[in-house]
Amino acid sequence: MAKHSVSLASDCQFWMQKLSEWDQASTWETQQDTCLHLPRFQEFLRQMYEALKEMDSNTIMKRFPTIDQLLTKTCWNPFILAYGESQIILIWCLCCLINKEPQNSGESKLNSLARSLLSRILSAISFDIKEVGLFAQGLGYEPVDYYPGLLRNMVLSLVSELRENHLNGFNTQRRMAPERVMSLSRICIPLVTLPEFEPLVEALLIYHGHEPQEILWPKFLEAVNEAFLGKKISLSTSAVVCLWLRHLPSLEKAILRLFEKLLSREGNCLREIECFIEESLLPRAACHPAVFRVVDEMFRCALLETDGAPEVAAALQVFTRCFVEALEEDEQPKFALKTYFPYAPPALAAALLQRPRGAPEEHWRQLLEHGSQLLRQLMEDQTQRSLGGPLESWFLFTHFGGWADMAAEHLLRSEAEPAEAVLWLLAFYHSPCDGSRQRAQTTVEVKAALGRLQQLSRSTTLSARDLQAAAGLGGAAEPRPAACPALLRCLLLNFLLWAPAGRTVAREAVALVARTEETAHEIISFLDRTLYRWDQLCIEAPGSRKLARELLQELCVQV
Amino acid sequence: MEPLLEQLERFSEVLAVSRTSHVSTWDSATVRRALQWARYLRHVYRRFGRHERIRTALERRLHSQWRPEGGLGLDSVPGLTNFEALRCSDVLLSLRLLRNRALGDAACYYLLQQLFPGPGVPGGDQVSLQDQLARLARRRSAVHMLRANGYRESPKLQEDPLMKTQAELLLGRLQEVGSAQAESRSRFLGSLWERLPRSNFLKVIAVALLLQPPLAPRPQEELEVGRPQTAGEGSRELVHWLLENSEVMAAFCRNNPAGLLTSVAVRYPALTRVYLALLTDWGRHLRYDLPNGVWVGVETQDVQWAELCDRFQSLCQSSTPLKDEVLTALQALKKQDGDFEAPGLSIWTDLLLAIRSSA
Repeated sequence: MAKHSVSLASDCQFWMQKLSEWDQASTWETQQDTCLHLPRFQEFLRQMYEALKEMDSNTIMKRFPTIDQLLTKTCWNPFILAYGESQIILIWCLCCLINKEPQNSGESKLNSLARSLLSRILSAISFDIKEVGLFAQGLGYEPVDYYPGLLRNMVLSLVSELRENHLNGFNTQRRMAPERVMSLSRICIPLVTLPEFEPLVEALLIYHGHEPQEILWPKFLEAVNEAFLGKKISLSTSAVVCLWLRHLPSLEKAILRLFEKLLSREGNCLREIECFIEESLLPRAACHPAVFRVVDEMFRCALLETDGAPEVAAALQVFTRCFVEALEEDEQPKFALKTYFPYAPPALAAALLQRPRGAPEEHWRQLLEHGSQLLRQLMEDQTQRSLGGPLESWFLFTHFGGWADMAAEHLLRSEAEPAEAVLWLLAFYHSPCDGSRQRAQTTVEVKAALGRLQQLSRSTTLSARDLQAAAGLGGAAEPRPAACPALLRCLLLNFLLWAPAGRTVAREAVALVARTEETAHEIISFLDRTLYRWDQLCIEAPGSRKLARELLQELCVQV
Repeated sequence: MEPLLEQLERFSEVLAVSRTSHVSTWDSATVRRALQWARYLRHVYRRFGRHERIRTALERRLHSQWRPEGGLGLDSVPGLTNFEALRCSDVLLSLRLLRNRALGDAACYYLLQQLFPGPGVPGGDQVSLQDQLARLARRRSAVHMLRANGYRESPKLQEDPLMKTQAELLLGRLQEVGSAQAESRSRFLGSLWERLPRSNFLKVIAVALLLQPPLAPRPQEELEVGRPQTAGEGSRELVHWLLENSEVMAAFCRNNPAGLLTSVAVRYPALTRVYLALLTDWGRHLRYDLPNGVWVGVETQDVQWAELCDRFQSLCQSSTPLKDEVLTALQALKKQDGDFEAPGLSIWTDLLLAIRSSA
């Protein structure tokens, strides 16, 4: 404690110095420096309060002989009083100075000082609105009655001035000088979270002025972004887009916050992920291509860094789905797809963006084959022209990963001979870096597994072990390890969900396959994805849906 | 019902006393009881805010307290002024006590402990008193910062936030007084005229007349109470009062800027007629100073030519019906004077010339 108060005492000296320099924060330099230190000063006040509340006023004055001056100076700095919780912590500190029964003139003086400071910061009429104060007082009103209304009117007046300026540009006589806009944005820094300031914050964000360079104070943009991400204020989508377009660090921070949220806890289902993503406003903001490209680039980096982690891929897919939906609802002029996906041929992007609801199997087959051909072509072109190679094509396709799941489901449900193009698509998605020989091997294995599974679907007596072997997942019993076991597991699970014979042994088969925690997670993620996709595409399959949901619940309990 | 009304009256008295030196006799128990009372009335507000009948009865009782004094004076301010005040009765009481130097140290110590219990004290189902007071301090600072740094006086007075706020306050009070007793409004305005700085008061009246009805409701922190929106009624009452009091009306037209008066005239034809009559009267007092070629006042308080001219020009720059009315009046006056076209003979001819040259 003693040591702590020694360091607090030296902090006191530091802040005394600062407060004297700042005075009443009346020049822009002092305002700027004050804004820079607001969070730190609040923290100091908090520590101070923690120390003061343990002492009586005598001890306080002994330990911190200049505390009265420090608090007095603080009470005269409007920036500090306006910031976050500083004003209430300051009030608590002042309360600590008050002595219940002052014994000498020193204590009485301290009491009197603390009381007058408290009443000053709470209710004194500022000198600069004396006229309003006198008039209101004459009507029998007190500051508490009119400060909210006064503040609202002041804010509205500035908002209309900004709007008028924004619309009329050079022609208006009431043109707001850029310095004034900047100073306004600086004043708003401590006040962004005050509800009355929301219209002004919005108006400033939307305001562009006529100067090529940014006229809003960067710290203001940071403060708004921080308040928005912390849900301390609500802003219209257009204001948020303006914020992110004019301040890239804010956009990056918003994306990183979303990533942190999505990855910080395990076992998020896609519905929850969707909620987080929608809530972030990023999909709607991404309708502006510049925002989309930044978000996309961050996803790309995250996928590369994590070696294509399924959680990241899932988040990208949900994000893309929300983005496509926002794009359809967006009333702003549409941008060409090329602006969002510059490396994708328009035909491919258009094909992948489709979400045919309730389409028949035959239609799906056509779509899948068409998509596969276009993608293959792109990949080969890119490899030839060394434009990133298979990884770029894979990244593009991963946005729409639901297609790969659809392809696997289609192969299982279709009676016809599996189409080469669809097999290629699956093999490519599951291991993009394979060479053509490895990919051919995967295709052969998948084809063989499909054949065996199809035969089993007609058999009347079926065991989980038979199924496991048929899917090529027999483990040690297999002649050689499978090229892509995850893909084979995906086929097996589809079989369980769709083939009537499969449903009877579904639990046993899942238990057999989900031996390790990793595969259990993989199966959970598959089931979650499948249910989510069925909802999106309105796929009617009551039996399969029920089974998938039950399996998912059981597995989630186990892991 | 009666006990509630009595409680209200008693608390109102407590609130009135909280500003006086009588609080020197208060100890912590008195402070505690007063705060409990305030909390109870806040509860009453939340409970009966939407209950029209009870609300009206409570308001009537509150307003009846004003009548003997003939209005709200600085010194005659009772405890509670309206039902709305119950919403923040605890804040009002706390602030008055805090400001009151007569409150003893021990009582003040207790009061602060009650008001600011420190961090992490749950505020229950509503915003705690501590939070409300902190927000008040924050708003106060915000007003100060905007005023000192971002504020620029509006060229149009009716758009000036400080003027608008005063006008809203005036209309709000007027409405409360009116609901107590119809004729008391005019008495109330009369008492304000006696007490408040006049130049500002006249401007506030003009701005209040121009506030678009309905009056925007105050931001409510807790609940939006169905407060009747009768700002139109308030401005009717103001017009009525101006028309009834020629001295005030003359000051109103003389002291307010031309543009503001024109805006008022566009909206209120009844005031336009009196305004025009006054302008005519003022014009008649001017004499032509032949050597200097200008119209001058005979006495010092007479309106200057430039000001008269400015007022007529402003009127003629407004909407067509008003402009036509003004021009017709001037033409008639000019005719009465002999219908001269040459300048320097009739002030009306010269005013018409000035208007035409500025058009």
